[in-house]
Amino acid sequence: MTETFTPGRPIWCAGCGDFGVLEALVSALDALQVPAQDRMIIAGIGCSGSLQNYLSCYGYHALHGRVLPTATGAKLANPDLTVIGVGGDGDGYAIGGGHLVHAFKRNPGVTYIVMNNGTYGLTKGQASPTSATGYQNNIEEDLDPVMLGLSIPGSTFLARGYSGHPAQLLQLTRAALEHSAQGRGMAYLEVLSPCVTYNDTYREWRTSVYDMDNEDGYDPGDRAAAFGRMTELREQGRLPLGLIYQGERPALESLALNPEFAVPARQDLQDPNLIDRYREAMQSFIR
Amino acid sequence: MTGVRPRLEDLSIIVSGQGGDGSLTVINILADVLRSVGLRAYTERDVLSRIKGGIVAATLRACREERLGIGSQIDLIVAFDVAAIRKESHRLNDRSIVIYDNSGGALADDSGVPEGARVIGIPFSRHAVRAFSRDIYKNSISSAVVGRLIGLSDTDMRSAFEKRFSRRGAQALKYNLDALAVGHELADEVGLTADEGLYDIVSADSEPHMLITGNEAVAFGFAVAGGRFFAGYPITPSTDIMEWLEKWLPRFGGVVRQAEDELSVINMAIGAALTGTRTMVATSGPGLALMQEGIGQLGMAEIPLVVVDAQRSGPSTGMPTKPEQSDLNLLVYGGHGDFPRIVLSPGTPEQCFYLTVKACNLAEMYQVPVFIALDQGLSQNLATIDPIDQSQVVINRGKRLDTESLAELPVYKRYAFSDDGVSAFATPGTPGGMSLVTGNEHDEFGQVSTDPGNRSRMMHKRQIKVQAMQPDLPRAIIHGARTAEIGFIGIGMTHGVILEAQEILAERGFSVQYHQPQTLWPMLDETPAFTRDCRCVFVVEYNATAQLAKLIVAHGGENAHIESILVFDGVPLRAEDLVQKVIERLDTRGEKVA
Repeated sequence: MTETFTPGRPIWCAGCGDFGVLEALVSALDALQVPAQDRMIIAGIGCSGSLQNYLSCYGYHALHGRVLPTATGAKLANPDLTVIGVGGDGDGYAIGGGHLVHAFKRNPGVTYIVMNNGTYGLTKGQASPTSATGYQNNIEEDLDPVMLGLSIPGSTFLARGYSGHPAQLLQLTRAALEHSAQGRGMAYLEVLSPCVTYNDTYREWRTSVYDMDNEDGYDPGDRAAAFGRMTELREQGRLPLGLIYQGERPALESLALNPEFAVPARQDLQDPNLIDRYREAMQSFIR
Repeated sequence: MTGVRPRLEDLSIIVSGQGGDGSLTVINILADVLRSVGLRAYTERDVLSRIKGGIVAATLRACREERLGIGSQIDLIVAFDVAAIRKESHRLNDRSIVIYDNSGGALADDSGVPEGARVIGIPFSRHAVRAFSRDIYKNSISSAVVGRLIGLSDTDMRSAFEKRFSRRGAQALKYNLDALAVGHELADEVGLTADEGLYDIVSADSEPHMLITGNEAVAFGFAVAGGRFFAGYPITPSTDIMEWLEKWLPRFGGVVRQAEDELSVINMAIGAALTGTRTMVATSGPGLALMQEGIGQLGMAEIPLVVVDAQRSGPSTGMPTKPEQSDLNLLVYGGHGDFPRIVLSPGTPEQCFYLTVKACNLAEMYQVPVFIALDQGLSQNLATIDPIDQSQVVINRGKRLDTESLAELPVYKRYAFSDDGVSAFATPGTPGGMSLVTGNEHDEFGQVSTDPGNRSRMMHKRQIKVQAMQPDLPRAIIHGARTAEIGFIGIGMTHGVILEAQEILAERGFSVQYHQPQTLWPMLDETPAFTRDCRCVFVVEYNATAQLAKLIVAHGGENAHIESILVFDGVPLRAEDLVQKVIERLDTRGEKVA
């Protein structure tokens, strides 16, 4: 066996919610038997952006906020890979917020896990887009990205987990990976992942989370009802967990790629059959 | 008209009117007909950043010899708006022919038409509205008249119409062919009968030329080089690259995405390149500015990518449809931190094709960003070129590890130190090749590191690529006698103008050689050496601060020998104007005039 990098030990603070995310991801990948070489993990900038270093995978540390465009490009170029984007709320909702809108709209077959702690931990605790009003003198209303996702017709999988509820988190992570693997498009999983150092919300979230998976009569296939229910719960100060919405729409790669060919990353660029096709293109400048 | 008609040697035609009048269509059709009969054609556009309105123009130069620039004088003007005649009057002479739309009345006395010029008024617009209820058909009607005037056969015109308009559906084709017929009737009425045009145009037997823009040649080159992923965001004047690839790349198995902004573009491209797919992006100045963080990422994380910059007039939004070469500093120095890169500069559509192939190879061989510096003129002007010889296309994918070669290694390090600074890499999906790629400083395994010793070695590893790549970088092309003591240096759209100026200067007794660099960065010593060896070198560039000349001087060029000729008013330089500037400067310098 060729020796390659040894996954390191996380540099996160003891008690950081990100440990729960890593644990759930590793367990879900193992349960689904995704081989290490097929895992492509694209991480953002921030504490959560070192997750790829802690498991065996093809890891890429992206530019701040650019996880989703990078993951989209990778998935289109090689849809055989299990492409997983990971990052934080600053990365995904602030500097990268514009891309989130377009990723929902495009529906690429990637799983995107956002570790939301409501703060910029790595730069020592500034307010983030999901910080509560009042946190660090924050005068703005916090963003609810699950509701943002619900408002975009292209979205197909919206879920929220909590590091403090590992069993449900594993189940949601697994469901997210399966959604993308089944060609149904982008699985978006936000995980409430407290920052014990700058925004320790364990106590607050323990009481405010609300489990949608066990709510009688809740239908994650009904976008309008989901939006209504999310609005009600928000007004009550609750944080809904579980599979919020799952819909059907073809994944971007199934629409964008020419099925006559192997995946772009695996094509033989010297295939002699291409010559006639190139010649046809050249003739278009002559005829 | 009787007697033997002359062969067409060199003819410049301008079609001008309000934006939306279809001037460009007339010129493109004429260019295609002239191409089809074996003549050389070159077109230029003078348009505005608006969909309709304003005075715009399209110019065509038809020649027996290859020309990559528009003539200083206009032989024929077609004006849909009389204001266009006044705008172009300085380029008209007593032998020029003026065809204008007299639907709004006859020309006024102060129209700007030179004494002696032949004037033909035809109510194109009125006939278009009468026959088709739509003013736009005036352009197809006028094409017929111009074709007759020049001596293009009605059959050749008809073929060109069929080729162009059949793509737009049966109805568009029918209406335009009808408009052509209306035009031919109007031509008869003003005495422009078939087969009695100004020139004797006989179809040549030679192999037909391609009619292609620099943008199209880059796109085509990328496809043939095995490019399989392209991301873009619409921005003038680079957009045609994306549009060509959207149509063609899927037929070769590739994929094209239009992203939400240039930040997304460069990062989608990075994602695709990470999988081992040949990838390119194209943009213009403002988009390139947005991509800068990604450019540094390519350098640090050693990701191969081709980045095309179709330069336009800046700074900021500038003049989006006008040419400039003012991104050179951004191309060469852009991005934060130190990292290796390559900047290539083609001057013709043919060079666009081959240098794009080369760029794809260099990016993968050295795992660096490779830029292709275009400009609005090179990007968008149509030129005739010989058919591309695809057998000359060689694909080199650099150091890549497959499952077998990877298994032979005791240890795989994505950023392993090596003599040339390039580390072999396995693409995701390859068993056993798990690795970390990051824009953080890293050790050989890609693990984040701030160790000073590692930092120094890694910086060195990346920088030694600059030496290693030298033998593979495209060399300058020298045009003219190497003994000449007066020289030109130019890139991009200055190329055709310099070649023509060189001829005119030779006729006037000046021997001038022209050094056309194909690699701008890393700067090869050949270019500074050229400025040391010649007594006087004219560096011609489209910017206000002599970016190219300063780059040459910074790398050992002889400042005292350099005369900068700078254009930044958005108007393409004409050969005759360049010659005048050269002679004036030589005179000022006290150079002996032969």
